[in-house]
Amino acid sequence: MSDSEGDDGVLPFSRREILGGAASTATSVGLGYLGYRRFSREDEGGGSSSDGGDEGDPLADVRNPLAEHPNRDWESLYRNHYEVDNKFMLTCTPNDTHNCYLQANVKNGEVTRLGPSMNYGEAEDLYGNQVSDRWDPRVCQKGLAMIERFYGERRVKQPMVRKGFKQWVEEGFPRDDDGSMPQEYANRGDDDWVEVDFDTAYDLAARTFAELAEHYSGESGMQSLLEQDYDERVVEETQGAGVRTMKFRGGMPLLGVTKLFGQYRNANSMALLDNHVRDVSEDEALGAVGLDNYSFHTDLPPGHTMVTGQQTVDFDLINADYADHIVLAGLNWICTKMADSHWLTEARLKGSKITGIYTDYNATSTKCDEFINVRPATDGALFLGAAREVIDRELYDEEYVQKHTDLPLLVRVDDKKFLRASDLFENYEHEDLAKTDTVESDEQRPGADVTDLDTQIITEEHRREWGDFVVRNDETGEFEAISRDDVGDDFDVTATLEGSFEVELASGETVEVRPVFDLIKEHLDETWDPESTAEVTGSDPQSVVNLAEDIAANKQETLILTGMGPNHHANSDNKDRAIFLLASLTRNVGYQSGNVGSYSGNYRAALFNGLPQYIQENPFNIELDPESHVDVDRRYDMQSAHFYTNLDKPLKVDGEYFQGDSHMHTPTKSIWVSGSNSILGNAKGAYKIIEKALREGKIEAFFCNEWWWTMTCEYSDIVFPVDSWAENHVHDITASPTNPFVNVMPETELDSRIYNTRNDTQHYKGVAQKLAEITGDSRFEDYWAFIDEDEYRAKPYIQRIIDNSNSVKGYDIEDLLEKAREGTPGMTMTQTYPKHIGNEQTQDDRPWYTKTGRLEFFREEQEFAEAGENLPLHREPMDATPYEPNVLVDNSDSPVIDPDTPEDRGWDSDAVARDTSDRQVRNVVYSPSELTDTTHPLMDVEDGYDYIYMTPKYRHGAHTFANALPNIAVWWGNYGDMDPEDDRKPYIGEGYIEMNPQDARDEGFEDGDYVWVDADPSDRPYPGAEKDDEDHYTRAMMRVRHQPSIPRGVTRSWMNLNQTSHTTYEAQQDDDSEWAKNDRTGYVSLYRQGGHQSMTTTWLRRTWLTDTMPRKDQFGQNLDEGFEADVHAANGAPKESFVKIEKAEDGAADGEGRWRPDDHFSDVLSMRPGYENDAMLRYIDGGYINTRGD
Amino acid sequence: MPKVENWHLNREMEYPYEDARPDNQWAGVFDLNKCIECQTCTLACKTTWTHGEGQEHMFWNNVETKPYGSHPVGWDGRLLNELGEAEWDEDGTYQGDTIFEAKGTDWENPENHPTNNFSSSADNLAGFMPGDNDWRYPNLGEDEPAGEEMTGDMHFDDDTHPIWFFYLPRICNHCTYAACAGSCPVQAIYKRQEDGIVLIDQENCQASTQCNEACPYKKAILNPKEGVSQKCVGCYPKIEEGKVPQCFENCLGKIRMHGYINHPDDADVGDPNEEIVNPIDFLVHEKGLAKPLYPQFGTEPNIYYIPPITAPVDYLTQMFGPGVEEAIETYQAARNGEEPEIQALLHLQGSTEWSLTGFKIEGDEAVGYYEGDEVGRVPIEEPQTDRKRYDEQEDVYRLDIT
Repeated sequence: MSDSEGDDGVLPFSRREILGGAASTATSVGLGYLGYRRFSREDEGGGSSSDGGDEGDPLADVRNPLAEHPNRDWESLYRNHYEVDNKFMLTCTPNDTHNCYLQANVKNGEVTRLGPSMNYGEAEDLYGNQVSDRWDPRVCQKGLAMIERFYGERRVKQPMVRKGFKQWVEEGFPRDDDGSMPQEYANRGDDDWVEVDFDTAYDLAARTFAELAEHYSGESGMQSLLEQDYDERVVEETQGAGVRTMKFRGGMPLLGVTKLFGQYRNANSMALLDNHVRDVSEDEALGAVGLDNYSFHTDLPPGHTMVTGQQTVDFDLINADYADHIVLAGLNWICTKMADSHWLTEARLKGSKITGIYTDYNATSTKCDEFINVRPATDGALFLGAAREVIDRELYDEEYVQKHTDLPLLVRVDDKKFLRASDLFENYEHEDLAKTDTVESDEQRPGADVTDLDTQIITEEHRREWGDFVVRNDETGEFEAISRDDVGDDFDVTATLEGSFEVELASGETVEVRPVFDLIKEHLDETWDPESTAEVTGSDPQSVVNLAEDIAANKQETLILTGMGPNHHANSDNKDRAIFLLASLTRNVGYQSGNVGSYSGNYRAALFNGLPQYIQENPFNIELDPESHVDVDRRYDMQSAHFYTNLDKPLKVDGEYFQGDSHMHTPTKSIWVSGSNSILGNAKGAYKIIEKALREGKIEAFFCNEWWWTMTCEYSDIVFPVDSWAENHVHDITASPTNPFVNVMPETELDSRIYNTRNDTQHYKGVAQKLAEITGDSRFEDYWAFIDEDEYRAKPYIQRIIDNSNSVKGYDIEDLLEKAREGTPGMTMTQTYPKHIGNEQTQDDRPWYTKTGRLEFFREEQEFAEAGENLPLHREPMDATPYEPNVLVDNSDSPVIDPDTPEDRGWDSDAVARDTSDRQVRNVVYSPSELTDTTHPLMDVEDGYDYIYMTPKYRHGAHTFANALPNIAVWWGNYGDMDPEDDRKPYIGEGYIEMNPQDARDEGFEDGDYVWVDADPSDRPYPGAEKDDEDHYTRAMMRVRHQPSIPRGVTRSWMNLNQTSHTTYEAQQDDDSEWAKNDRTGYVSLYRQGGHQSMTTTWLRRTWLTDTMPRKDQFGQNLDEGFEADVHAANGAPKESFVKIEKAEDGAADGEGRWRPDDHFSDVLSMRPGYENDAMLRYIDGGYINTRGD
Repeated sequence: MPKVENWHLNREMEYPYEDARPDNQWAGVFDLNKCIECQTCTLACKTTWTHGEGQEHMFWNNVETKPYGSHPVGWDGRLLNELGEAEWDEDGTYQGDTIFEAKGTDWENPENHPTNNFSSSADNLAGFMPGDNDWRYPNLGEDEPAGEEMTGDMHFDDDTHPIWFFYLPRICNHCTYAACAGSCPVQAIYKRQEDGIVLIDQENCQASTQCNEACPYKKAILNPKEGVSQKCVGCYPKIEEGKVPQCFENCLGKIRMHGYINHPDDADVGDPNEEIVNPIDFLVHEKGLAKPLYPQFGTEPNIYYIPPITAPVDYLTQMFGPGVEEAIETYQAARNGEEPEIQALLHLQGSTEWSLTGFKIEGDEAVGYYEGDEVGRVPIEEPQTDRKRYDEQEDVYRLDIT
């Protein structure tokens, strides 16, 4: 493998160049023309040379190469090449949900190649259930390319410290007058790096934590934060504990529980530091802050929580095997769920109809039977249109609607709340619940790590507040009370679905009540007929009808899968509420072959609900007996990382907080992340964080654990070098929401580490040892007692998790490891194989995790009412729309679509729409036709803002994993070139923006030109950036590709590529530098300037930030209200941008004219779309063959 | 004298050497309906065989998007253009010229014999030498469609998509009448009698690069560092052990089946419900489902493709020859449940690392064999399990939502 990332790139060759010299001398020495020597019979056995070329009968010694060859001995060459010395299994865990065991083939002490384990088919659970060999192979190209990472120059090879940061620590943390880090020490991105030993790195980190905890504690600490202009409510949230400004995060931590969730254990241990610094009692000591993942990545589908009360509904992708109809809504399955693609294509082979709802004719479209194109982020409207059709034509499944949804429940029109039984019936006493346990207070809740429990837990207070509900018996006309127990077959009333009723309340008051169904029907009927749906979605009215008919014809047989596409917009929750509505109307929620699923990120950490045993062990009562379970005591607080990317500003408009208290965050003074390029280098609004938080010194310490130097490392203060996935000396465990396997990670069989690296947990322990020295508290070190490389290797921690997790309890870590060494995983023992969420609700009559126990389509909380979102409806995207952003669409007089409008608040509506921050809380209602008469406010600012800009994920990267490996980069679409002829190219592969060819022609862009891509200049690439600055590293410049698969008005860049950093920009400007590469660190950018995140930023919404919406905790069976990380939290929207595109440079290699890959034979073929010559057009038409005699 | 029988063309054709079919012919079936262009095959090959210096540009296996993609750039379009319009008779006989015939070369004249041609194979064969730039941009045209113009309201449920592209994975076809072997002036390229694999003898190759020029698939490639041409070796070190090549084993789209094909006159076919039959023969000869790549080039290539059902028939016929329409109908029939044996076999495909010399259907399972030994067994629908909600022994509820 090329070990130098292209330093010895391809030398495309020509025969003439290589052999030209020989040709001139060959004939003179009696050899044939050009000096060739024919290998002939006389050479048998590889003998001496013979000149058979020009004497006697030229064919006398010619044999038939189809029949024989005299020299077969040479074939040992490739046999020897293939042979290896040793093989062992490793676990490949990028954030793609597949967790493949790969076989590492070792020769001369190095991993020479990887391959699939081919032993998944042996996987078996404790009860003898086994999967089939159809699960093999599990592998992909990124995994195979990983050998380039193990040995690549971009490995983090030893601890690295930024020079300015080291000085800051060593000079005793000098501070400005306001108490912040002086900017001179915050020169992140173009500072020098210092190699240090582990001891020094740990000491620097520990001293920093001790100082930050000290400095930002107490009144003086809070005062300092206020002087640094942090919002007062945000400062108040610290409670005066400096540790609460210290943030920790493992990237998608299910991917390696000990390594990555270890950061939360780390955060918990900081209670020891708080105890030391503030001198508070052990009981009062606070831990640090953990940052979220699933919701920070906008992987969370927030509408799932709104409808079902728990994190996400989904199912193992193998469930495709059973469904007759599969609807893919913005899930580019074959690109992003590669290892499970065959389940889709095999389902298709067995006759499943595949319907694709996309914004372009993408890779997965080629596998579809029906293709529906929609305007980006209008999927929800399409589903509402289909739901209207199903209701209008009475195609819905009434039994399912009655038993499993809130659609029969009555809503009071006056206060927009569910009618409570206690409102209606005098002296009503709540039913005794059998399926829910109540506890007196939060303190009495069972832990999440309790496995002998299968009832939901709520507090008595919630029981009282949530109450019981009312339906109208359609047969008797009587009103009947129902509880959250009365679901499934335990509900046998035929309730009225339509109509409006006057009821006299127990108070004597008379109010109007209507079933949820009736309210929804009214909105749908008057808003979403097929033509109006088509108008808003930009699609064909017939597609709405077809979708409705197909789903209704396949009740309990339709799987609806959504991907990141529609989820990455600010209306993602509206989209899922609409999907659940359609799916519920057609009995397609909760069945093996009829369900809803959202697919992004490896998130379902709740598969290990015993995790608190590890991450929340009481640091003041550490269990040192490896056989014993622990005292769980969570000291850290969780927060959304979206506020860190929002420069720690809350959602506050006109002096009012639109962010619930439970979502309130603290200032960010330090961050320590593991395996997490998404937190900075590939974050939404990456340049905002870099320019406004890191380089200004607002964030004072940024530590990063990595084994491959990422853009996040580029801007870090300390980079801790981590073992690669081929070098596990400490064990770990992972599982997945998309497959039924639990994977433990076996130890490496390499004789030695490749570089001077350690396991993540060893770094936590290393810093803890230093904190123990600084504080004199040995508990810091004891907290990591089972982290070593010989005796324990973290196994006691893993076994504790296993013993306390419902889906894996009963397994023994040693047994799992033994199988893992053969490449065979265990199986997660959920209720079914294949697993699918909703089975307990549809089969066992268990309640959903909502107030009503039902799939809830009416959200009664005040935050929803204010936003006008009691019902599922469509909101326009926050920025990615040619129309007025973020407006509600409704054409009814519904009493429950009644938001607080700008007029209600006395705001200038147009000004609020223009302001990207204020816009987030603006509620305006338009009918479909009113909407399409509006324009995006940027269009009034300047010509050229015409394009929605999308940043989806693609097949050649799992996030940024592998994108810059030469043999991956070269496949990145059109511009992959191992030895570029164009000096401007940043790397072997290169980022680009794709446009409809007609749009590109209208703009004057030739295929392959370089263009500038600019989003709203008021806040991007970062607030305060100089507009149209051609010399700033943050401004996006990339190739433009004519892409006929994209409709007009839509553009796209793949989100997986490394972005420009200070150093790569400098290298790009340097004529002597071959690549846009930091020679010091190896970091390479695949853009010349900026990147796809130059156009993105943080977006927030009121309904993601409630204090009142009920939801299950992430782990366990407890229900509570308000913020829960990765469940109900700020969710962001990385596909929200509306851009202007301008020509920068010609695409041709010499900088003049068109980029023409077919240049030298264009007289034969001109191949680029839109540039085809007659020969190419004939080729596409199949015109070189005639089978019809014409 | 050098006339050989090419059953793809349903006729005899010109070739520089006598007919000499191997005892067994290494072969593969690729189902393009399942290909996802992940390039895992490419990387499996690359990391196994071509990771040395001088091989940076060399992909023995590649996957390209059709119709806008091609690696090296324009490899097929240029050759088709050179051959011009050619006709297939209704009875499946190719009336056009193969690459061996297009130049009107008299192969009986010793002067034209490859061993006497030290200049350019294109003197005698249709074909061209890829230029330096053609090896750049191996994924040019990725995911670019042809057909109707894309509009915001695009909606269709036609079998043939009005806007379309598909993926074409390509390796050396280990052709029965290999152009590389038929062009090598020093006879360093040969076909193994035991398995039909075509190899470039690395000890005796002299980098004349005639093979680079002659191979219509452009799968023989010069290694400028080593001064030899190199190509796919059919993973013979694995084949000799009964195992499939790397690009087959690593194919996570599970589109590839490896085995051995017989001449249609010797096809090993029968009822797989009753007996073990050759799976390649079954799909190629019995069902007519899998088709050779550009049979009109005349090399009798041995990778057979199940055509993508969503692409236009004219383009596919240009690429896979006559019978494409029928193959698509057969695939659709399989989807409708009318061809359970095809369904079964295409589920077995890719589930084992062994070559399949036979397969059989037993109830709900497809069973694969290598030389008589069972080497794979899969259910056509994955069995489901309902676990007991409460496990008394472990004192644990087995819940879905935890």
